[in-house]
Amino acid sequence: MKPFLALVKRDLTLGLRRKSQIYQPLVFQLLVVTMFPLGLGSGARTLALIAPAVIWILALLASLLTLDQIFKNDYDDGSVESYVLTSYPLPLSVLAKILSHWLLSGLPLVLFSPIIGVLLHLPSSSYGVLMLSLLIGTPIFSFMGSIGSALTMSLKHGGLLLTILVMPLLTPVLIFGASAVVEISLGNSASQPLLLLSGLLILSITLIPFAAAAAIKINLE
Amino acid sequence: MFKPVSFDLAFGQSLLISGPNGIGKTTVLESIAGLRDLQSGGFSFKDSNLDKNKDIWFESSLYIGHKTGNKKELNCLENLRSFLQIQGIDVSETQAEVALEQVGLAGFEYQMAGSLSAGQKKRLALARLLLASFPIWILDEPFVNLDIAGCAWLLAVLENHLNNKGILIITAHDNKTIKKAVTQEIILEPVEI
Repeated sequence: MKPFLALVKRDLTLGLRRKSQIYQPLVFQLLVVTMFPLGLGSGARTLALIAPAVIWILALLASLLTLDQIFKNDYDDGSVESYVLTSYPLPLSVLAKILSHWLLSGLPLVLFSPIIGVLLHLPSSSYGVLMLSLLIGTPIFSFMGSIGSALTMSLKHGGLLLTILVMPLLTPVLIFGASAVVEISLGNSASQPLLLLSGLLILSITLIPFAAAAAIKINLE
Repeated sequence: MFKPVSFDLAFGQSLLISGPNGIGKTTVLESIAGLRDLQSGGFSFKDSNLDKNKDIWFESSLYIGHKTGNKKELNCLENLRSFLQIQGIDVSETQAEVALEQVGLAGFEYQMAGSLSAGQKKRLALARLLLASFPIWILDEPFVNLDIAGCAWLLAVLENHLNNKGILIITAHDNKTIKKAVTQEIILEPVEI
């Protein structure tokens, strides 16, 4: 078996056994979204108006809950050495880690988003674009988060530092993602923000594995 | 931390790194393994300099450090196989079972590593030595947590490895046990300020 696939398989097995990585972000989203009608106290129209932004901010915050785990567990138990001390390229192993993180934490957010949409009275015409924008956007969260996680993996409580490091990098994703949903709910074309999001994703795929690999090396010094 | 050291090992030879606590034995071992970069100096292996490209070194050396690298939520078989597969070494289930039996973990194949004792976790990590046919073993305190039988077994495995022209680089507290097997020793000394 290729090291890449072996790493993905191991991480998926671990994720399915731990489960918290999967349900934590979803429960968090559900809890927070039920607060909005209570706090705003107004009707469906207000909720529908803020829905795109709220769904995207929730997706961002929910992702942040699990980002530090990408490398932290491996650092703590020493298994990070299994993919650092090998001739197999570290950026590829990093890519495998990011892919499995997204499959465990990002993909459930995408699949869960229609439920959040219903709770916020999102117009029915927007669901396709909502899911598509999250499908392109949530992997970018995992990519950017991998740099933060690699930089903070040796810290006991690196969660806040990771948030501070990663949040500015994620704002463009939030801007384009939310605006895609806004555009479609106003009846306009969402292709421009979606294309910009796709561009960000491609940029992340090509550059971030190298950056995160360098960050791991620095942290092991 | 410590005075400069240098060594030269041929196949079939072994090196013990010793010194007081906190002097940097693990640091030396991690540098040799390739986890850290050297502040100064260098390594070469089979006449090629390892400063720029460590691939040839990674392909022939196996490092087992203080952290065992076992995953709590994986059972012994899965731990052993996945760790080696991530390094590009394919191990069949039968091979892994045989190795686990040899390290004294027969009957624990499907037990989660999180529920093993410290000594058993060490044995699980050491089982990698039997499966990866790497000539160079870099071991940080391998005897720690092992019982008397475990120490005797490990010593036999290490001696066998050296007889088969392997290289061993090791740190150990219990110097008496290992000194019988090693051919060279470096004692780290503090730098006088």
